[in-house]
Amino acid sequence: MDKGLLAYLLIPLFSALVIPFAARGREKLADILANVTLLAGLVNLLWLALRPSVIAGGFEEIPGDGLSLLLVTAIYLVAFCVTFFSAWFVPAGMPNRRAYYSLILVSVAAMTGVVTAADFFTLYIYIEVLAVTSFALISTDDSPKGLEGALKYFLLSFPASALILGGIAVLMMTLGSLSYDNLHIFMSSDVPAGPVVFGAALMMLGFLIKSGVAPFHMWTPDAYQGAYAPVSAHLAGIVTKISGVYAVVRMASLLRFFDGRAQGLSALLMLLGLVSIAVGALAALRQTDLKRMLAFSSISQIGYIILAAGLGTPLALIGAVFHLINHATFKTVLFLNSASVEKATGTTDMDKLGGMEHAMPWTSWTSVIALFSTAGVPPLSGFWSKLLIILALWEAGLKGYAVIALLFSTVTLAYFVMMQRKVFFGKKSDAAAAATEVSAPLLAPAVLMSAAIVALGLLFPYVFSYLKMMAGRIIL
Amino acid sequence: MNYYHTLLLCATVALAVWAVMARGLLLSAVMLALVSVAVSLAFFSYGAPWAAVFELSVCAGLITVLFIGAVSLIRREESAKPENRARFHALPLVLAIFAIASWFALPPFFAELSSWIRPGTGGGQIGLALWDLRRPDLLGQVLMLAAGVFVIKSVLPGRTQK
Repeated sequence: MDKGLLAYLLIPLFSALVIPFAARGREKLADILANVTLLAGLVNLLWLALRPSVIAGGFEEIPGDGLSLLLVTAIYLVAFCVTFFSAWFVPAGMPNRRAYYSLILVSVAAMTGVVTAADFFTLYIYIEVLAVTSFALISTDDSPKGLEGALKYFLLSFPASALILGGIAVLMMTLGSLSYDNLHIFMSSDVPAGPVVFGAALMMLGFLIKSGVAPFHMWTPDAYQGAYAPVSAHLAGIVTKISGVYAVVRMASLLRFFDGRAQGLSALLMLLGLVSIAVGALAALRQTDLKRMLAFSSISQIGYIILAAGLGTPLALIGAVFHLINHATFKTVLFLNSASVEKATGTTDMDKLGGMEHAMPWTSWTSVIALFSTAGVPPLSGFWSKLLIILALWEAGLKGYAVIALLFSTVTLAYFVMMQRKVFFGKKSDAAAAATEVSAPLLAPAVLMSAAIVALGLLFPYVFSYLKMMAGRIIL
Repeated sequence: MNYYHTLLLCATVALAVWAVMARGLLLSAVMLALVSVAVSLAFFSYGAPWAAVFELSVCAGLITVLFIGAVSLIRREESAKPENRARFHALPLVLAIFAIASWFALPPFFAELSSWIRPGTGGGQIGLALWDLRRPDLLGQVLMLAAGVFVIKSVLPGRTQK
């Protein structure tokens, strides 16, 4: 475990344990404690990564492998946006308010554990903690849809855990250790990789189910649609990325697919990535509910990350990690904005909305930034990550994959433009006539994330320098 | 694999199926406890006494007590609502098909896998394993306990109010 980042696991855990006692009878204190914990952590992380001396030195001073620090920052950023939004969004009399914040903080601690783990068993334990907290967070909204989403998540997530555990058992039998380093050394040796690749394939299957990649995506739309609005942002923004996608990317970097030693697994991953891109994008075109459409869009975008992870070249892994970070930023904006629209109008049915831009200009324009970034419009951050992935595919001679990935990027633009027209532009609907812009504190997280999207795009040379340093450290 | 191990594994599967198919929740809880007993016997005979003790005390002991306590609270309501159990009858059939397929397919697979077995690192004293080798996992267990408590605190107030 990366001990330099241990504090970012322990402090949210401590706050989560303090909140139920300290905030008894003073519910607002739960909001404050959760937000202060995450903001303090975020400021600290930004100082670690973005000090002028660190930037000037080409990020060589960054501790650990660089990937952990980057992802812990993304976790804290998304979680802070979610808790800040929740402080104004959650109704005053919510009976489980303290437990809600404690669960978010425990999930932050668990995600930090996942990204700082140095062996597969530790990774598994933290992923299980994350599964339990996600189940409870989805069921915070105890409407029939929320419970349906939570049950579907449970029914698909726990068999996935069993597969991961099976894979861990095979790896333990054949490698004698579960540490990443040992696997790295083993894959670099000349020993035939058969049983290790089989164990890795079982684990990979479990992680793919947890990522919500097609054809294992059935739980995602129901969970995102049924969950409490800020919880959807938390789940779609970061939780599924860390509990599934990160693990796939990490394994891809360890197994050195590019060396041809696990060629079958690599090809299968790439195929699943491509299927996910297509299924998610085509299904998103047909949706009428805003949150459901965003959920299918998530499935499609995760496909890009899995496709790049399957390819496994250094450029592809840089693209995969950057798209993972970008996905966390733009999906958080879009889900928080859908929550704002729901609060203002009482619905997320796109057929009942329209012309919301007049009533909610800030929500509308932050959505435009996020959707352009998702679709890969320059110079926003999503453009660069998609470009890296497509270039990596082209460079590896997989021109067909590159063209299909590019093609579905235009489909992404099509369904998002359609969404923007139905919800924000076009003729003013009855819902828009009665709606007003949400308060400034509810807008702040979306504006902050939109600024991050623009900054990551415009300052891409610096971002690329960081990612190059990281790739050098995680790939042997 | 000797006959004792085969018997133990068959008993584990049979008891697990019984736990799923049992009509009463109390019987299910008891069968689950017996599954844990069978698994802990297997752990003992495979030379993993600490795992066996934990399995016996926590799964067969503590969790069974919790299950029986919870079942005794809801038994009256359960008997008032008879459940459609037709779907459970397919389970033995599915298991039988799986067992026959495994009989042919799995032995060569395990034979190949066993040729790859390497001795695991670590092990030794339980204290050494927990505090020195697996410290991050212990922290994970603390997180899991905290998550469990917050899940109950999060889910129960809404239900109680309704």
